[in-house]
Amino acid sequence: MIFAIMAMGIYITYSILDFPDLTADGSFPLGGAVTAALMTSGVSGIRIFELFIPMYILALPIAFLIGMLAGIATGIIHVKFKIRDLISGIIVMTGLFTINLRIAGAANVPIFRLENLFQNPFVSRLFSGALQPYTNFVIIFLAVFLCKSVLDAYLKTKSGLILRAVGDNSQFVTTLAVDKGNVKILGLAIANGLIALSGSLMTQWQRVFDLQQGTGTMVIGLASVIIGMSFTKQLSFLKATTGAIIGSILYRACIAIAIQLGLSANDLKLITAVLLFVILVLSQSKKKKVNANA
Amino acid sequence: MKKNSKIILGVICCLFALVFLSGCAEKETEKATSIPATQSVTESSSVAVTEESIATQTEKIEETNPVSSANATSNVETTEVKLAEGNFTIGINQFAEHGSLDNCRKGFIEGLASKGLVEGKNLTIDYQNAQTDIGIANQIAQIFVSKKVDLLCGIATPSAQACYNAASKAGLPVIYTAVTSPEAAGLANSDGTNPGKVTGTSDLLPAKAQLEMIREVLPNAKKIGILYTTSEANSKPMIDLYQQLAPQYGFELVIKGISTGSDIPTATDAILNEVDCMTNLLDNTVVNSLATILDKANAKKIPVFGSEIEQVRLGCVAAEGVDYVELGKVTGQMAADVLLGNGKIEDLKYKTIEESNLYINETAAKNLGITLPDSLKQRAVETF
Repeated sequence: MIFAIMAMGIYITYSILDFPDLTADGSFPLGGAVTAALMTSGVSGIRIFELFIPMYILALPIAFLIGMLAGIATGIIHVKFKIRDLISGIIVMTGLFTINLRIAGAANVPIFRLENLFQNPFVSRLFSGALQPYTNFVIIFLAVFLCKSVLDAYLKTKSGLILRAVGDNSQFVTTLAVDKGNVKILGLAIANGLIALSGSLMTQWQRVFDLQQGTGTMVIGLASVIIGMSFTKQLSFLKATTGAIIGSILYRACIAIAIQLGLSANDLKLITAVLLFVILVLSQSKKKKVNANA
Repeated sequence: MKKNSKIILGVICCLFALVFLSGCAEKETEKATSIPATQSVTESSSVAVTEESIATQTEKIEETNPVSSANATSNVETTEVKLAEGNFTIGINQFAEHGSLDNCRKGFIEGLASKGLVEGKNLTIDYQNAQTDIGIANQIAQIFVSKKVDLLCGIATPSAQACYNAASKAGLPVIYTAVTSPEAAGLANSDGTNPGKVTGTSDLLPAKAQLEMIREVLPNAKKIGILYTTSEANSKPMIDLYQQLAPQYGFELVIKGISTGSDIPTATDAILNEVDCMTNLLDNTVVNSLATILDKANAKKIPVFGSEIEQVRLGCVAAEGVDYVELGKVTGQMAADVLLGNGKIEDLKYKTIEESNLYINETAAKNLGITLPDSLKQRAVETF
């Protein structure tokens, strides 16, 4: 479920902007690193904020903002320096490896003993007794729902509409006298903000930050988005963001089933690859159909 | 076009069917093997009683002819122990698939057996490997918790953390092994006590013994090179330990960090220009590329010391290493104590194996023109 927020970020880049954004592999742990650093840091300047708002909540918007910076970096490299989309993603992702390590201070930062979003006095008072097993589910559901609503609302605004137009019909955007480069940077910023936010949630949920937790983020996100999109195409009343959420849940469910069946993790990757390939081929044949009709 | 997509759909369905069928087939064979085991325990206590009586019978037989017991010590060890009462399930979450961790798991199961918990009789083991994927390690731990296993076992730091995270919410006990620094991993408090229902064993390298051994082999060496991966949690505390100990033996450390396996050739070239010898940590990325490092080091006649038996087998000159089977055994015995209620898990402090085993590779030493001291040769547990 936490991956759903990340999948929405990937949805913006892959589906709306038509931009294969490899920054995701770096910005996902970036959110985690920022969270771990904030929660464990003893710097009094940061600690002052804690009087007003708990650090684990404060970490979420900060992770979002810093994730946006990563997205902006990729955008600027791509748009201003005219470096190809894939390469600019790789550049930022590679750089983020070191930055994440520096921010977190170590490759593996445990935060078992600290209060977090899922474990604090307020939550444990709210969910007591029989409700307790559902705590994580409810909190993550709320977070995902909140992100989805805000994103949906944003996509309906003028700026959101232009963002959607850049991927579909960039000429149209130019005729509106809007610089499509800036719109791309904006889209990448929002996308990576969401990815970092989900990285922050992930770190709080697993109560440990690990530098390697970002490996394969891009693939998981893409798989989720594509699975989700193949659903929303059939059921047109669903929004694409909902599709991304459903896709990420389905993807994780597939892996859970595979583990339950006793398949080794080695085989999992191959199954993922086959699944992705097949769905991509399927969606392509549909696109061709549309072209043929047009 | 429609036809085309239909064909593709058909192919997908077939693929899925195949995958699931193969999965089910595996499952069925698993069931087939596990059914007699569970039956023997669940059918009734009478079976357990007969088993116990068999065990006591064999004990009696051994008493009557003591010659046989002397012959087969290892076999006797397992049959001598009475089967413990009850039926337990343990979920093992192993982070990667390599020699040391596999040995750990083997030892763990042996350790349980030595306390009367025998796999297939009164113990079911659910073994899953995360193949170095942290997301998968987390998911495996979640599945164990939802299956309500009696105990979770995490092998290597990320798996141990995943198990602890999942299990502590559900109140299940966790035993870990092959965690280099439980304190740094958040699995133990700074005073060595347990933060919750979690304890286990640490595989902190016998750095002192290793440095002593290197000094013995190379009396004139000054600089030791160490390569490590910046993203591996276990390497940092080891580096700290070496840095603390090296001056005591008159060594200076040269440390180079890498981020992926593809950095190793360049980093090795760079470090070899600066050092008299190299020593390895239990760094997975570095150990995986050991062949490359050895090749370059041998060309420059610089000896490389290992950290466990498998590395010496590959061509390191020598290693003072943790015996992982032994480490696993200790862990298994701790797990058995927890399951059988011999003491509370909260009070069981984590353990570190003190003694180390020396492994040497005489051919590698000869190729480098090094003569290994006789004292080492006599002490070596295994010589290649």
